[in-house]
Amino acid sequence: MLLTSVIIVLREFLEAAMLVSILLALSTVLDISRRWVGWSLTFGMAGALVYSFGAAAISDWFDGVGQEVISAALQFLVYLLLFSFVLLLRVSGDRRLPEKLIMLIMAATVSLAITREGFEVLVYILGFVNVLPQFVTILMGAAIGASIGISIGVLIYYFVCSLSYRQSLGLGISLLALVAAGMLSQAVLLLIQADWLPSQLPVWDSSGWLSEGSVTGQLMYALVGYEATPTALQASVYFGGLLLLLIVAVLAVRSRRESL
Amino acid sequence: MNVASVQAGKPVVEIEIRDHLFWPSEIIVPANTKVKLMIYNRDPTSEEFESYELNREKVILGNRKAIIFIGPLLPGEYPFFGEFHPETAQGKVIVE
Repeated sequence: MLLTSVIIVLREFLEAAMLVSILLALSTVLDISRRWVGWSLTFGMAGALVYSFGAAAISDWFDGVGQEVISAALQFLVYLLLFSFVLLLRVSGDRRLPEKLIMLIMAATVSLAITREGFEVLVYILGFVNVLPQFVTILMGAAIGASIGISIGVLIYYFVCSLSYRQSLGLGISLLALVAAGMLSQAVLLLIQADWLPSQLPVWDSSGWLSEGSVTGQLMYALVGYEATPTALQASVYFGGLLLLLIVAVLAVRSRRESL
Repeated sequence: MNVASVQAGKPVVEIEIRDHLFWPSEIIVPANTKVKLMIYNRDPTSEEFESYELNREKVILGNRKAIIFIGPLLPGEYPFFGEFHPETAQGKVIVE
C-alpha cells in the first residue's frame, strides 16, 4: 500500500514537476520573473479540487467519455500554450520579451497541468479518508512520491541553468518541445479511448526493449511521452507536433543569439 | 464467451469491480475488433483501470460505471490492473 501510493503520486508529480522545472529554468535563463509559479500552484490546486468534486458529473458527459474529452482538451491546450510561448520568443527576436504575457502563458500552462495531474492524486487519496490507518500510510507514501518527483524537477532545473546561455536556452526549449509533444500524443490516445478518433493496430511494439511499466519507461513517458505500442495516428501527431515546435524553437534560439 | 451483447456492430463486455477484484478477471474478445468495455465499480472507493499493453487508463469513481473502448487487437494476452489497488485488482484481456 505504501509503495502503491508512492508510485501513483510520483507518476503524476513527475509530469507536473518536469514542466514546472523546465519553465522555471527558462524563466531564469530569459530573465523573466518567477512569480508565476505561486499563482499557477494556487490555481492548479483549485482546479484539481473543482475537477475532483465535479468528477462524477464530468464522467457522464459525452455519453460516458467526459473524463477523456476534458483531459484531452487540457492536454491540447497545454501544447498550444507552450507553442505560443516558443512562437513569442521567435517573434520577439532580439527585442525585450513581453514579460507579463510570458508569465501569464507559463502560469496558465502549469495550472492546467496541475489540474489534470492533481485530480488523479486527489481522487486516490480522498478514497481512503474514512479508513484512518490506511489514510496515514497513503499520506506518507504520497509525501515520499511527491518528494522524489520534486527532487527530479530540481535536478533538471539546475542542470539546464548550469549551461551557457545558448545551451541552456536550446536544451530548455528542446525538453519543453518533447514534453509538449508527449501531451499531444496523450490527447490523441484519450480521444481514441473515447472512440472519438479511429483506433488502429499499433505501428510498432518496443515493449520488449523498454516496457512502459518499468522505472525507465515511466521516466521516459513523463519526459518525452514514450509509448511502447502507439498507433500510426498517435505517432504522426507526436512527431508532427514535435517537429513544428522544434522548427520554431531553432529559429527562436538563433534570433536571440545576441541578447543579454 | 464473455461478449455479452452486440450494439451497432461493436461487442460489449461487462466487468464488475467488487472488493477491489475484477469480475470476471479474464475476458475473451475477438481479434481485430473494437470492443466496448462497461466497467461497473460496485465498491464505494474509486479505482483506476490501467493497462500498459492496452494503452488505457481511466479513473472509475466509487459506485459508478465507466466506458472504455479497446482494440482492434492482435491475438494474445493483455493484462490490466486497478492502479489504486494493484495487490488484488488484476485481470487480463485474452484476444482470440
